[in-house]
Amino acid sequence: MTTIRVGTGPEPFAFAGRWLDGHSAAVTETSLGFDEQRQTLVISVAGRPPVHWAIDDIRTLRDQAQRDVMILSVNGDPVARLIVEDPAAQDILRSRCDRLNRGPAPGGLRRLWFWAGAALASVAAIILVLVPVMANQLAAFLPPEGEAALGKATLGQIRQALADTESAPVAFCDSAAGSKALFTMAVRLTDGLDLPYDLSIHVLNHDMVNAFALPGGHVVLFRGLIDNADGPDEVAGVLAHEIGHVVSRDPTAAALRTAGSFGVLSLLLGDFAGGLVVLFLANQLIQADYSRAAEAAADQFAIDRLLAANVSPEALARFMDKLKAEFGDDSAIGRHFASHPQLGDRAETARGAIPVLNDFRPILTPAQWRTVRRMCG
Amino acid sequence: MSDTLPVEFAGRRGHLFWLALKTSFLTLITLGLYRFWMKTRLRRYYWSSVRPGGVPLEYTGRPLEKLLGFLVAVCIMAFYIGIVNLILMFLSFAVMGGNVAGYLISFVGVIPVIFYAQYRARRYVLARTRWRGIRFGLEPGAWGFAWRSAVHWVLTILTLGLLWPRMRFWLEKYMTDRTYFGTARLEQGGRWTMLFGPALYLAVTGAAVVAASSLLAAMPAVWSAALTWLAYLWLLYGFARFRALSWQRMTMHKTAAGVGFESNPRIWRVARIYLFGWLSIGVVLAVIGLLLGMVAVAALGADWDQLTLQDATQLPTWLAWAMGVVLYFSFFLTFGALRHALISLPLWRHYAETLTVTGPAAIDGIAQRDRDEFAEAEGFAEALDLGAAI
Repeated sequence: MTTIRVGTGPEPFAFAGRWLDGHSAAVTETSLGFDEQRQTLVISVAGRPPVHWAIDDIRTLRDQAQRDVMILSVNGDPVARLIVEDPAAQDILRSRCDRLNRGPAPGGLRRLWFWAGAALASVAAIILVLVPVMANQLAAFLPPEGEAALGKATLGQIRQALADTESAPVAFCDSAAGSKALFTMAVRLTDGLDLPYDLSIHVLNHDMVNAFALPGGHVVLFRGLIDNADGPDEVAGVLAHEIGHVVSRDPTAAALRTAGSFGVLSLLLGDFAGGLVVLFLANQLIQADYSRAAEAAADQFAIDRLLAANVSPEALARFMDKLKAEFGDDSAIGRHFASHPQLGDRAETARGAIPVLNDFRPILTPAQWRTVRRMCG
Repeated sequence: MSDTLPVEFAGRRGHLFWLALKTSFLTLITLGLYRFWMKTRLRRYYWSSVRPGGVPLEYTGRPLEKLLGFLVAVCIMAFYIGIVNLILMFLSFAVMGGNVAGYLISFVGVIPVIFYAQYRARRYVLARTRWRGIRFGLEPGAWGFAWRSAVHWVLTILTLGLLWPRMRFWLEKYMTDRTYFGTARLEQGGRWTMLFGPALYLAVTGAAVVAASSLLAAMPAVWSAALTWLAYLWLLYGFARFRALSWQRMTMHKTAAGVGFESNPRIWRVARIYLFGWLSIGVVLAVIGLLLGMVAVAALGADWDQLTLQDATQLPTWLAWAMGVVLYFSFFLTFGALRHALISLPLWRHYAETLTVTGPAAIDGIAQRDRDEFAEAEGFAEALDLGAAI
């Protein structure tokens, strides 16, 4: 700033302050003045050489409770402080030192960026690489009883998460005849296979068009999927696909993966995310967003089992087309059943597997299919 | 120089309320990023409020170093939490066939890290605290604190809480004996049994509440309600009594190079701060809720007495959402800011104003200590969501 000098020079400035030199805990009375030549604030203590603070480098402490006291510091000296209580002195200091209220220079920005990058990289590496790899490895070692317990626990969480109200989880559709028909279907599809555990097939009373597998041989079909299917063979195709996931233990790996990833995510988001974690976990399992390889393997498994059971893969292909038309290429259900972006036309793959000579017959009789349609009342 | 140094307190409820409200709003709209700045600014305010001998404490911590510390802690904790969770989940299902065990073990696994983080956070805060230009400091010793805490907790649980005051005393002593003001080391004197009386009193008031509420069925409603309220008031008093007496006894037995402390907090005053504080917060939040409810009714154009849950679901979706979000966040913002202004600050004020430093002549001889560079700041505590107050 420019100082307009009238006559001999600016008014002499001499006020008292309290000086903390930052070396000892003693508080010393000091007198203050300006050195116009050097553009400094001079802090004089009896019996010691005066201290010069460059005017442009003087700062005040911020967010102070005592607002009528000014505490000054200077860039370059982290410990020394000057306490000015006299209001007149404060006014003069405010008008002379125009950088008083500036913040300190933000040092160490490069280090900050480095660690921000490192934190991002380590979280990404853990969630995207380390946890999935370990989960796949560990899933193969989990004993069948462990898988069954894991499946039971997650099934409960999913039913709770899908419910509209807090009180009651989404209901299972239970009818003796319908369950028996679905069981018949599963028996035909798994004939001659050696499964590590019994399959349990549930129908959830929910209008979502979807199906998913859980650890321990649980396969869950939504009412919406059964309502949407034209005939039992389409459901059989979906069921076979899910059994494919069960056999290769994809849901087990997914459950372990989410257990690892969610701890990390809740670490980043803080405690309010506690409830979200469970929701997200359930969502992840329902969406069944498995890898490309896992989906391709489940497709192949489904086609093989359908052929072995003398059921035409055409129904599966038709169902895939229908989903693709209805939900689009990149929806979660699309990735699961119809059109994983990197898998090409899966319906065509299924159709291509149909032999010229065949004696296909529907997987259920019309009467059995009606009992399945009526399971949810 | 006189032979005692009174402690003044300069903080004002109004100033702190606006500072807390402003900074927590900024934290909200930056998705939590500003919380490092918020913490720094609130601490600067609290610290500068406390003025032993008319010279305020200074908090010199920086927001960016806190952010940096958080990032460092995330790098390390992400590995620990991700991998350990995964393995524990696997083990609990493979061996025990249930996930409760997994959650339990993974929680137990984090506990030592929590203690570690507590000590590190204290070390950071002390290293960034100054009075009369002289730094405070805490010697390294976080793992020693962590295992001692774990052992003390086990003992406390095994004795059904009987040794809880013992744990409080010894953990506080562990920290105090490693605390420095410049070149002077603090020392915690006294015995753990001095906390036993107040703790027992608190336990008795707690038992009274349980007893009063279990008598509910046996007597007329008016009487039982009155009795329960009395029991709760007594519990509040017991709590205030414990806080005031434990603070007083621990403080009076702290010394540093010939400097000591006198402390005379008044139990009734502390109880009044809690009671008045929580009641006011309740009233203010109820008013906010009521106002938002009235806005909802106005938006609906419905009469008060005809309003049912059915009507509420007929609000335009975006409006219902907007109001829900505003209600939710204004509730938490106001709650936090009011708690600072009506509870924390009055407590700080009372404890500060009833504190006197004795033997201050020795202070002038205390010299500066080196800066404790501390790359991780309080990152671990931040990552584990500890130290929520300030």
